[in-house]
Amino acid sequence: MTRRVVITGIGTANPLGMTVEESWQGLLAGKSGIRPIFIFDASTFPTTFAAQVADFDLADYVRNPDEFTRAGRNVRFAMAAGRRAMEDAGLLEAQVDTDRFGIYLGSGEGVLDFQTLVHSIAVGLNDSGSVDTVRFAQAGLQRYDAFSELEQEPNMPANHLAHEYGLRGPAYSCLTACAASTQALGEALDLIRTGRADLMLSGGTHSMIHPLGVTGFNLLTAISTEPKDEPWRASRPFDRDRGGFVLGEGSTIMILEELEHAQARGARLWAELVGFGTSADAYRMTDIHPEGRGPAAAMQMALDDAGVRPADVDYISAHGTGTQENDRVETLTIKLVFGDEAYKTPVSSVKSALGHLIAAAGATELMTCVLAIRDQVLPPTLNLDTPDPECDLDYIPHTARQAEVEVCLSNSFGFGGQNDCLVVRRFVP
Amino acid sequence: MDRRIVITGMGLVSPAGDAADLADAVRAGRSAVAPIRQFDASAFPSSIGGEIPDDFDPSNGVRKEQRRYIKKNTKVMSRDILMGLGAANRAILDTGLPIGDDGQPPLPTIDHARFGMVFGTSFIPTTLDDLAGPVRAAQADAEVNLNDWGAKGIPQMFPLWLLKHLPNMHACHTGVLWDAQGPSNSLTCSDAGGLVALDEAVRIMARGIANLMLAGGAESRVSPLLLMRYALLHRLVTAAEDPASASRPFDRDRLGWVVAEGAAAVMLEFRDAAEARGARIWGEVLGTGVSTMTGGINACDADGRGVALAVRRALDAAGVEPADLGAVYAHGPALEQQDRGEAAGLAAALGDAARSVPVTATKGVTGHMGAVSGLADLAVACHLARDGLVPPILNCHTPDPEVRLNLVTGEAREMKGDLVLVTTNAIGGQTAAAVVRVNR
Repeated sequence: MTRRVVITGIGTANPLGMTVEESWQGLLAGKSGIRPIFIFDASTFPTTFAAQVADFDLADYVRNPDEFTRAGRNVRFAMAAGRRAMEDAGLLEAQVDTDRFGIYLGSGEGVLDFQTLVHSIAVGLNDSGSVDTVRFAQAGLQRYDAFSELEQEPNMPANHLAHEYGLRGPAYSCLTACAASTQALGEALDLIRTGRADLMLSGGTHSMIHPLGVTGFNLLTAISTEPKDEPWRASRPFDRDRGGFVLGEGSTIMILEELEHAQARGARLWAELVGFGTSADAYRMTDIHPEGRGPAAAMQMALDDAGVRPADVDYISAHGTGTQENDRVETLTIKLVFGDEAYKTPVSSVKSALGHLIAAAGATELMTCVLAIRDQVLPPTLNLDTPDPECDLDYIPHTARQAEVEVCLSNSFGFGGQNDCLVVRRFVP
Repeated sequence: MDRRIVITGMGLVSPAGDAADLADAVRAGRSAVAPIRQFDASAFPSSIGGEIPDDFDPSNGVRKEQRRYIKKNTKVMSRDILMGLGAANRAILDTGLPIGDDGQPPLPTIDHARFGMVFGTSFIPTTLDDLAGPVRAAQADAEVNLNDWGAKGIPQMFPLWLLKHLPNMHACHTGVLWDAQGPSNSLTCSDAGGLVALDEAVRIMARGIANLMLAGGAESRVSPLLLMRYALLHRLVTAAEDPASASRPFDRDRLGWVVAEGAAAVMLEFRDAAEARGARIWGEVLGTGVSTMTGGINACDADGRGVALAVRRALDAAGVEPADLGAVYAHGPALEQQDRGEAAGLAAALGDAARSVPVTATKGVTGHMGAVSGLADLAVACHLARDGLVPPILNCHTPDPEVRLNLVTGEAREMKGDLVLVTTNAIGGQTAAAVVRVNR
C-alpha cells in the first residue's frame, strides 16, 4: 500500500512577510510586495523594482549567526523559513530518527560578488577586448573572499540546514529554474512514499535580485520594466497589457511527513500531498511549447497520481508569470486538460502580488493552496484590469473569494522546459 | 514484469578522452593532468588541471540537423553544457537504439513521453571575456559603480548571457535534441551530483513514469573563477612540480585537488526491454543511496557518517553484503579531510570486509571532475571489469596510515565476482553511493 504523505509544518520568508499568517493575510487583502529595489542601486537599470524580503535578524532563526556572515540571501531566507517550518511541525524538541529525515530543496545560487568580479575584470582588460587572466588573478586574489565564494554554490542552503538540524536522510538540491521547488516537493513526496525517508524538509529558496541577476533577466526581456512610478501594477498575469514577470525572492519550506509517523507523534496535519506530475517540453530553451504539450502532460500526470478528476479540483494556483507567452499557453493547457471544467475552475496567480520567487515560487504557491483549503478562501490575481481574449478563464481578479476548497492543483513551468505540478487536498482520514 | 534496471549506454568526455580511453589510462596509470591550456593560469596558486582533449566535438555521430542545432546554439552553451551534451549524445548513440534519419523524429522506436533525464550539474561561472566589453564601458579607474553598469554596461552585454550559466541547460538542450519529454531534473549537489542523478533516475523509473532515463553529470572546474574559489579555500594542489604526480588520492603525501573537467552519462532501461531488443548491457544498477554530511559547509564528517549512510543504503537497496563486493571505486579527491572522512565512512559501512575488498580511485589520472566523478568511475569500472581488473590508484605510493582500507596500489588486482560499489561526497554536503553488477 502506498504510504500517504502529509504536510505537518510550513515556514516562509517572502516579500509579504516573515510568517505564514502575515503573508497570507497580505495576499487576501490584495497587498503587493513589489517596491523599488532597495537591495542595491538599480536606478539606471531597465527594471528598477522587485518584490523583496524586508530586512530581518537571522539571530532569531539560527543557533549561531556567526556561521552565516558570508551567506547569501538564499541561505538566509532558507534558514528563516526552515526554522519556522521545524517549529510549526513541532520538531525542534521532538525525538525523531534524523537518519530518516531528508532534505530536498529547489535552491538557487548565492549572490555573486559583483564588485570584486568587475574590478578584477577591469584590472585584467586587454586592448583586444578580452581579459588577461594573469592580471585578473592578481587583482582577484587581493579581494575575493573564500567563504563568500563557497556560499555561491547552490547546495549551500541544503548544507546549512543539514548542519543546523543534524538531518541525515537522503539530501538533494535541484535547480530547474522556475519549477525547482515544485519539483523538489514532488520528488520529496516520492522519497517518503517509497520508504526512503519518513520526514522531508522540502521547498525552495532563491534571490536573483542582485546586479547580474537583474541584468540577465533584463537582457532576456523576460521581466517587466514599467510602470516605474507604480511598480505594484507591473505584475499583471492574464491581463491583456501584461509585460513580463517581476522578480521576487524568498523561501518557503515545508515539512512532509509519512501519515502514520505524523499521527503517532500527534502532529498537526495541514493537508495531504496527493499528486505529482513532471515532464519536459523538449521544445526550445526559453519558449513554452505553443500547444502546451509538456505542461499538459505534467498536469494530467499529477491529477492521475492524485486519483482526482478535473471536476474535483477546486482551485488552480497558476504558474501565471505575467509574460505574454506563459499566460496564453497556460490558459490553453488548462482547457486542454480540464475540458469543460476549465471555465468552472477558479485560477489565480499570486505572482501578481509576490513577484516571481524563481526557485522558491512553487513552494510558496503550494503554501497558498494549503491555506486556501484551511480557510476556504482563494487568493486573487491583482492588476487584472483588462481581460485578454486569449485568457478567458476565471482568474479571481482583484479580490479574494470565499469558496469550497478541498483539492488544489499548483503549476510550475521552468525556463528550459521543466513542467511540474502538485495536487494537495484536505486531509481526510 | 521485470523491473530491474540496466545500463545500455555510456558516454564520457574526460581529460583522457572517452570511456574506453579513460579506462586505458587508468589501467596504464597514465596521468591526464597537465599545465592548464585554456587560459594563462600562471598567476593562480594552482595552475594545473585535467582538461578535455582539444578535438572534443559534441556533435560526433549525431544527425545532420542535430549538428546544425548544436552549431547554432553553441554561443549559448558554456563549456559545461557542451560537455554534458557531448556525453549525453555518446551515451544515447551507445545504446544502439535507431536514431532515425534526417527529417524524421529522433529515436523513432522509443516512447518520447517516457524518456527523461537527470543531470548532476553546477551553477556555471561566467566567462570573463563575456563581461569585458560591458566592464570596459562602465568602469572608471578599475571600479564599476552600479549606475554606470546600468546605463553603460548592460547595453554591451550578450543578450542571451544568462542562459549560458543555468544548471538545467544541459538537460534542456539534450532534451530538445532527442525529444525527451519525460521528467527532467538538474541536481546541484557538487561532487555528489552525478551519482545523486543516478539515484533519482532509477527511482523515477521505479515509480513507473519513465522507461528510458539518462543520468548524467557535467562540470568544468578549470575556469578562472573556480580556480580562484578553490584556491582561496585551500583545496588545491599548489606545490607539485610535476603535474602527472600531483593528484594523489589516499596518499600520505597528498597535496589537494587538481581541478579538472568533463561529463559522463549513462542510459538506463528496464532489463526485459533491453534484452528484448538485443541491447548490449554494461551492467545492472542494483541499488543507490544518498545522505549528507552535517558538520558544516566546509567540513567533512570526521567519522565519515554521511558516507557510511549512503553506502549502507546502497548496499541494502541492492541486497548485497559488503564481503561480496569485487571492487570499490572511491571518490578520493586527494584532499586530506575529504579522503579521510570518506575512508572512515567506507570502513564503517564495509565492516570486516574493509580489510578484504579492494578500494581504488581514478582521480590520480583525471584530477577532480566535480559532479562527473561517480559516473566516470562507473564507466571505468564497467570497462575494466570485462578484463577482470581492479586498477591501481595512480600516485598513491604511501597510503595514508589513517586510511584503514584495502587500497589498490602499484599493480592492478584481479577482480572477484561482478559487484562494484561507487561512492562520492561533497564537502559539507551530499553523499551518494551506487552498487552495480557489471557485465563481465
